[in-house]
Amino acid sequence: MSHVWELEAAALGQIALAAVVLGAGLPALFALGIRASAWGRGGGAEVAADGGEHPPHPLGRALGTAVFAVVVLVALLGVGFVVASGYGKALSFEHVYPTVVDR
Amino acid sequence: MTSATTILVLLVVVALAFDFTNGFHDTANAMATSIATGALRPKTAVLLSGVLNLVGAFLSVEVALTVTNAVVEIQNSDGSPVAGLSRDGGTALLVIVLAGLAGAIVWNLSTWLLSLPSSSTHALFGGLLGATVAGLGWGGVNWAGNGQEIDGLLPKVVVPALASPVIAILVAGLATWLVYRITSGVAARSTEDGFRWGQIGSASLVSLAHGTNDAQKTMGVITLGLIATGHWTDTETIPFWVKAACALAIALGTYLGGWRIIRTLGKGLVEIAPPQGLAAESSSAAVILVSSHLGLPLSTTHVTTGSVLGTGLGRPGATVRWRVAGRMVVAWVITIPAAALVGAALWWLAHALGGGLVGAVVVVAVLAAAAAAMYRRSRTAPVHADNVNDDWRDGPPADAPSRTTVPA
Repeated sequence: MSHVWELEAAALGQIALAAVVLGAGLPALFALGIRASAWGRGGGAEVAADGGEHPPHPLGRALGTAVFAVVVLVALLGVGFVVASGYGKALSFEHVYPTVVDR
Repeated sequence: MTSATTILVLLVVVALAFDFTNGFHDTANAMATSIATGALRPKTAVLLSGVLNLVGAFLSVEVALTVTNAVVEIQNSDGSPVAGLSRDGGTALLVIVLAGLAGAIVWNLSTWLLSLPSSSTHALFGGLLGATVAGLGWGGVNWAGNGQEIDGLLPKVVVPALASPVIAILVAGLATWLVYRITSGVAARSTEDGFRWGQIGSASLVSLAHGTNDAQKTMGVITLGLIATGHWTDTETIPFWVKAACALAIALGTYLGGWRIIRTLGKGLVEIAPPQGLAAESSSAAVILVSSHLGLPLSTTHVTTGSVLGTGLGRPGATVRWRVAGRMVVAWVITIPAAALVGAALWWLAHALGGGLVGAVVVVAVLAAAAAAMYRRSRTAPVHADNVNDDWRDGPPADAPSRTTVPA
């Protein structure tokens, strides 16, 4: 009986940890992307430190695009995960990049 | 047609009806926040969610034949009915499952009428539990599995249900806090588009995951009935028509939209702003996907409701209506026992009428009458796509609103 609860606690702990990393990390990253592209757009998109308007910055634009690309990639991985598990497969990160393996 | 076959037809119809209620009960989980913030128009949101549920249901080819094994012992581990329930062409098993499904539908409709989100999976398990206890006694309950793996009512259903809102509140609260910290000082017009697409994307992921998880359960229940009556022998796959019918039923239900519940989750619990919508749905998608990946799938309803609550707590100054939250918690706690009571009562009713075809027909008639009564009751204060986002008012004046503002 107690063995079950050990397994349960371990599973719930893992879920909480992974969910915090993905569930809070991704929106935070997304917000960074929004911030970066606002910086890239310039003008009144972002309140400058001195209260005035700041000029558009190409770096912000590039940074914003890169961050959004990462977020989209992770979301697509999520879709891949849903599809893979539907077919009784799982995504493996054994080779760093994801591969579909049998469960 | 033998009487067992006739009961089987009734069971299929009632199971699809349950799948349909499962769909409209859970539209809110994915779409309430996007509808409340205006990221999607109400009709567009339910259409998107319906289509994604349909796709999701077809994507899930994993066999969910042993779905009832989590809580009761009416099936062997290979999915076939246990010995003793197969007499009279499987009638005994059919009547248990039929009464259980009817109990689940009655509970789903009651909570919908009261505008409360509640887990359809819990309702299904509760109904089956009650009907099984009535039919087989307490020995028919799978309390805690064999002790070697996470299985049975307590480890697989009750404890995760207690833990999932806590995890979701934590994740969504943290996500909300981070999003507001990071985007503070950025002008609203520069964030609008970003948050809009972020919400749509994360909500779509939740819809897709819902289709793959939830439609499977009804598919498993129908296939169990087919096996019990000898219409299907393969315990590795399910018939295609079962999959197609369940996928359609859950998608249609989702498209119909449980507007009452959408309103509670999107407007009632927390006044949601676009960044909160993004944080809540991302958190829900993450918790749902991670938990099914780790083999302990958590209830979509418990997770999303927790996320919405968390997003209210994570934003300084946000309005959280604890009175609404309290009602939801009560609904969660009593879902399993309440559905079980209805399931048990209906099983006894069928049993008193001989436990065969007559009993089954009467159970379905009682279910239809209850459903019609609740539908009529709902028409006295209808909620639909056009008024789903109206300002929230806390009951009649005598019913003092209990609003809490989280200190900044």
